[in-house]
Amino acid sequence: MEYDKLVEAIAVEKRRMVSDRLVDIILTSKNDEKMPSQLANAILSHWQKDILSTQDGLTALLEAAVILEPEKTVTALTELQLTGIAEQVKGALVKV
Amino acid sequence: MVKFGIEFVPREPYWKIMYYAIQAERGGFSNLWITDHFNDRNVYVTLATAAIHTNKMTLGPGVTNPYIVNPVFTAQAIVTLNELAPGRVVLGMGAGDKTTLDAVGVEMEKPLTAIRESIDIIRKMISGESVAYQGEVFKTAGAKFLFKPKGKIPVYVGAQGPKMLALAGKIGDGVLINASHPKDVEYAVNCVKEGVTASGKRLDEIDVAAYPSFSVHEDIKKASKTAVPAVSFIVAGSPPQVLERHGIDVKKAEEIKEALKANDWGRAFSGVTPEMIGAFSVCGTPEMCIERIAELLKSGISQFVVGSPIGANVREAIDLVSEKIIPHFKT
Repeated sequence: MEYDKLVEAIAVEKRRMVSDRLVDIILTSKNDEKMPSQLANAILSHWQKDILSTQDGLTALLEAAVILEPEKTVTALTELQLTGIAEQVKGALVKV
Repeated sequence: MVKFGIEFVPREPYWKIMYYAIQAERGGFSNLWITDHFNDRNVYVTLATAAIHTNKMTLGPGVTNPYIVNPVFTAQAIVTLNELAPGRVVLGMGAGDKTTLDAVGVEMEKPLTAIRESIDIIRKMISGESVAYQGEVFKTAGAKFLFKPKGKIPVYVGAQGPKMLALAGKIGDGVLINASHPKDVEYAVNCVKEGVTASGKRLDEIDVAAYPSFSVHEDIKKASKTAVPAVSFIVAGSPPQVLERHGIDVKKAEEIKEALKANDWGRAFSGVTPEMIGAFSVCGTPEMCIERIAELLKSGISQFVVGSPIGANVREAIDLVSEKIIPHFKT
């Protein structure tokens, strides 16, 4: 899945809200062991600079959220009215 | 002005703790304490990662013990950490808990002596000395680093009983008081004062930290529910005189202890009463926590450590402390 392409479709004014929701999904996930350390380090690097809602930050968050909690991520994206992105994620998951 | 510290248990993966540490630093916490138990992830690896991800916070193990980790290794780890975060490192030393020591077959031999001697060895090593030490518990024969250690590292003593508290006052640069209730903290600070006076210091020359189990939520029921597991273990480990001081039925505490021994979590947790939560944690809405912290401050503490579990949702709880509790004490 091309996460960066998906993130490009998120309107700038929505990005903080989306990053906030994805961070919550990741931090409350019980599937810790699924988190790739490279992705975790990228998220921390962006968090350290407080730029998690930028294109790169959101891309890392979305990828991590899908790896750790695919269903919750689809639900969150739908609730955030990002149905197009939610459908693409869902479609990619079905293929897997 | 009181400082706020925060404790994390590295049972969580490093990336969650680092996220929270960055958040806490941004939210006004000044101290980061990482617990040290052999069955969790390693304290110094976690601290080194935290040193890289934070800029201002003072950080250190809260606490490590000299039985499982020999003092020379603690000295080595803490000195190396101080190279990574110069001037931001402190060391918390305690006697350890019996359950953990039992699990690795290590006896808690002469805890007061062990703490005094280990701190003595660590301080000497940190100052670059060659340490030939003939103690009752620890012995070294010319232990010395092959590099030049830099900087001064304050040593805190984690304490609960009167003798350890007095020792902490006597030899520590700080003390971590394992208590939550104002009555217990007041008693503890008085014990610390005895040690401080005996060493010719003043109480305000050391950092006196209350290090309670903490749980905050806008909904009191959620805050209490989160505090229950930690409180059950504290109740089970408390001597009868401490339980009686809080009007807690010793028999009920014994029942919790038995249930925990049998890994019957449901029975253990259901035995925890609101009185137990009140006695052995700082728990409730932000307003309730403010009230309790204000009471603790009257005893003369200079740091309040937000200990685990922190809250049902740690991220939200850190925000609550940063936005509602810390500002109350900064004005």
